[in-house]
Amino acid sequence: MSRLAAGDMEAAAELYDRYAGQILALARRILRNDGDAEDVVQEVFSQVWRNARSFESHRGSVGAWLLVIARTRSIDRLRARQARPDNVAEAYPESIADRSVPVPDQLLSEEQAARIRQALVALPDAQRTALELAYYEGLTQSEIAQRLTEPLGTVKTRIRTALMTLRQRLRS
Amino acid sequence: MSTNRHDAVSALLGEYALGQLSTQERRDVEEHVRDCSECASELRELTAVMHGLARAPESVVPPLHLKQRVLGTLAHEPGAHAPRIAHRSVFASRTWLAVAASLIVVLGSALFLTVQRQRQTTDEFRRAQNELSELRARLDDFSGQTDLALSILTAGDMKRIELAGSDAWRASSARAYWSPSRGLLLVADQLPVPPPGRIYQVWVIGGTTPVSAGLLGSQRPGRGMLVAPPPSALAPGTVTVAVTDEPPGGLPAPSGSIRLAGSL
Repeated sequence: MSRLAAGDMEAAAELYDRYAGQILALARRILRNDGDAEDVVQEVFSQVWRNARSFESHRGSVGAWLLVIARTRSIDRLRARQARPDNVAEAYPESIADRSVPVPDQLLSEEQAARIRQALVALPDAQRTALELAYYEGLTQSEIAQRLTEPLGTVKTRIRTALMTLRQRLRS
Repeated sequence: MSTNRHDAVSALLGEYALGQLSTQERRDVEEHVRDCSECASELRELTAVMHGLARAPESVVPPLHLKQRVLGTLAHEPGAHAPRIAHRSVFASRTWLAVAASLIVVLGSALFLTVQRQRQTTDEFRRAQNELSELRARLDDFSGQTDLALSILTAGDMKRIELAGSDAWRASSARAYWSPSRGLLLVADQLPVPPPGRIYQVWVIGGTTPVSAGLLGSQRPGRGMLVAPPPSALAPGTVTVAVTDEPPGGLPAPSGSIRLAGSL
């Protein structure tokens, strides 16, 4: 990352090779559109490039950080496309995204990531749908309740339960 | 720290991790988590779950043009340069525009840039998409070379060499990007058709001994490109890059006239 902060193009190329595939996959999942997803990949790397200096290593894994940015950018774009007002006060401008979104210390191993992938598929439909709307569409609990025409309390419980299941899968 | 507060925040940790909280709510959570190891631990787990959700969509192989686009854009950003700059930094100046432009032109990605800039009518867009798929198919032939080309362009020891010619080659423009550690990228435009039954061969001359870098490939009449690793057994001395025309298949040593040449 320090090489990136120093403007090292080679470091940028290495970072691209390592993470672009994952970033693109996440962006495609959120946006369901190849062109938009590629735009997001571009934005992520530009943002990382500009903010490399302010990324301290104690904040966590670079790869995980990239995916956090990828999700944020993708959801911003999704909101714009859906002409959906941002009910969460403000979209994450770059500086806030840098500081406030938690980043895990380490990347999950392939095996751990696979476990989550399977656990997600195995969730009861109602729980999975609610969680996916929250994560891959960036909806708030109220928005999800509206979308599913379910009571807010029900939605909260479903998401909490789903998250608990996934946490347990990671622990075992 | 009241249990009420703890319970209240604890219930919000999931929403916090999902990014569903307002700025104020986020601050409240962060303030509490700082002092509560139980919540901190739960938040760590939730953060890992979030990362797992990010990884759930299986990784894909990005299309080739995307790497060029991303790195090309970064190179325009302030501060971009290749590592361990020897003499002058190509990237610190606007010459990067020329570098990117010639590579893009030769690889036919200019169309891609146009598509990105104007998404006008659906018809235009669809036509552009078709051309793009066609180009991508041709680009796939060069796929191994695109990575090498990019690595040459980003090499710290890369130097740019302008080639010039005379007579029929006076109007040709050719540029070589030479990295002793990575290889040679040569792009040529407005090349006359070689004399009948001849092909273009590229040479790297160290001192006085020419070593073949390979045959110039052409995707379209008038355009030529070569991407090659550094030729072995290059004698020390000033580097000259030259293009001659040779019999089909090329020769181990140049026999034809030098059509284009340039030196460091």
